[in-house]
Amino acid sequence: MSSKTETVIAVINLFKAYSDIKAVDGISIDVKMGEVFGMLGPNGAGKTTTVEIIEGQRAPDSGSVTVLGMDALKDVRAVKEHIGVQPQSPALFPTLNVQEIIDFFRSLYKKTIPTQEVIELVSLQESRNVLVKNLSGGQQQRLSVALAFINDPDIIFLDEPTTGLDPQARRTMWEVIETFRKMGKTIFLTTHYMEEAERLCDRVAIMDHGNIIALGRPQQMIEDHFKESAIQFKMSDYPGQKAMASLTGVTKVVKEEEEEIILYTDNVPSTISSLLDLASERSAELSDLFVRQATLEDVFLKLTGKRIRD
Amino acid sequence: MKALKSVFLAHYKQFVRDRAALFFTFIFPIMFILIFGWAFSDPGINTFNIGLVDQGSPKSFSYIVEALDHIILDEDRNVFDIQQGQLDEKLQLLQDGELDAVIVIPEEMDSALEQVQSVSLQLYYDPSQISHQQTMIPILNQVVEEIDRSIQGNVRIITLEEQSVQSHDLRYIDYLVPGILGMSLMFTGIFGGIPIIQQRQAHIIKRLGCTPLRRSMLIFGELAFRMILVILTAVLIIVVGRLVFDVQMVGNWASLCGIVILGTLVFSCLGYLIAAFVKTEEGAIPIINAITFPMMFLSGTFFEVSNMPSFIEPVVKIMPLTYLGDALRQIMVDGSPLYPMTTDILVMAGWTLVCLVITIRFFRWD
Repeated sequence: MSSKTETVIAVINLFKAYSDIKAVDGISIDVKMGEVFGMLGPNGAGKTTTVEIIEGQRAPDSGSVTVLGMDALKDVRAVKEHIGVQPQSPALFPTLNVQEIIDFFRSLYKKTIPTQEVIELVSLQESRNVLVKNLSGGQQQRLSVALAFINDPDIIFLDEPTTGLDPQARRTMWEVIETFRKMGKTIFLTTHYMEEAERLCDRVAIMDHGNIIALGRPQQMIEDHFKESAIQFKMSDYPGQKAMASLTGVTKVVKEEEEEIILYTDNVPSTISSLLDLASERSAELSDLFVRQATLEDVFLKLTGKRIRD
Repeated sequence: MKALKSVFLAHYKQFVRDRAALFFTFIFPIMFILIFGWAFSDPGINTFNIGLVDQGSPKSFSYIVEALDHIILDEDRNVFDIQQGQLDEKLQLLQDGELDAVIVIPEEMDSALEQVQSVSLQLYYDPSQISHQQTMIPILNQVVEEIDRSIQGNVRIITLEEQSVQSHDLRYIDYLVPGILGMSLMFTGIFGGIPIIQQRQAHIIKRLGCTPLRRSMLIFGELAFRMILVILTAVLIIVVGRLVFDVQMVGNWASLCGIVILGTLVFSCLGYLIAAFVKTEEGAIPIINAITFPMMFLSGTFFEVSNMPSFIEPVVKIMPLTYLGDALRQIMVDGSPLYPMTTDILVMAGWTLVCLVITIRFFRWD
């Protein structure tokens, strides 16, 4: 099935600018067969532009893109036969029903999966005769993902597949993606949800301002950047960056605009004990305190100094 | 080809599920025909203009004039309005639609009546004019019978010999029906830009750009559907015109089909031209209205436009609907041409070409 050694997407030195904004500023990516590759970054980081160039929807200013051994900038139509794409918004004919939309898309490809199978994969059996405009947001998104799968593609591109979905619909979508992975499909996912990337992706590229600022396995990335844990809390009377940094074990202090404070520490018990001392000394109140492992969000915060969801 | 068929079917399904589109495509033009047709139709019995040609039987001539003058519609309105004259001149008037019938009184009639010999009157009229066929002829037959009876009792000697002549006597409804067809082709065509704008606005075109579908198929598939639509519209309009107002389609169906397609093409390209410059549906509708409404009225859809102020005339002369309406009238009801057919076709083809060139230059898929 998946050897995870064969390269299916090779992007080398890709550049794309819109007037004076460098949307993609010289990135290179290598995606292996059968892996779930995530591209993580805030809105406007250049994720969508990158993906659209790989899919053959946009021409880059310079750089090369090879998909499944084909030159994706020249053999655009051939590449499109073998990839599946789910764009950010479902964007389907509003007055066709689920079955008709699937049949329509099936007619566009040489090789296709039977309609029934596609409908079952995304659990839309009950809604097969419902018009697209009457589907819920989650159902539309699932239909859109189903269409990305209709030509039995080797690579599936999912652009923000869970944005705007409620937690239940998001979990359903994750299950669908897991199914794809088990089928041995290569998945190229863009998202700005850290949890999603950590949970689904074999490897993640973190993108900001058109550049890849970190690349690797999520757990590895976190371990590389943080030996520490994070203590997160709110404090009624903030004693200042310096006082915080001088607490036992603290390696880094992050203070958000909201009351929230994050202390990274390599010794959780000592840090908490000295934090409590400091608080009672100043008779300040601590609230919403919890200890957690560092996440990709923390990696992004450390690398860029800002949160990803801004 | 498979993709073309899919796009065609997708548009078909969307169309039949869109009540407003159904209404504006099929019901709207029929409503116009019925409302204008009934509001401005000829009254049931009209005054018939008769040309009488006396070839040398003054006695018989005066009998007939007197008998015709006796037929009174109501109050003191005569059914027949009689003009005397020469045969050539009267037949010409009949062909031009100025007269409804011409009766020729032969030289030998006076003597035939005296000697009780049979004699026939030539009656020229256009049998395709249904009100003549159904009303005028029976009355004339009765008139002749009366004369016969008053002169000779029970022996029938006078007969009316009917000669058919084709006239150009277009009724208002004959003028209206091709005009309405032209109008609906204009609307159906120009609104062809709207699905493209909608699909672009809703990112559907972009979505389909992720598939191997050639984007030009989106246009061709939609246009193919539009062509079927206009042919159905044309058939519907012709059938309703025929059944309700007895408007005869006299021309050749193939040429009609050609003009319907050319007319739709002109306005579809105009629609695509709008789609090349306007990004939103909300922006396109007022522009379509601003183009179609003046055209609908100034190009003579409902009424012949004459005595226009001189500054309007050049506008009328560049509007494609003027030429489409003219071509349709010439083919469908043999209406008198405003322009030669080749001019109509060339102007429409020219418009198509110009719109197409500008559209290709400025149109963007995203």
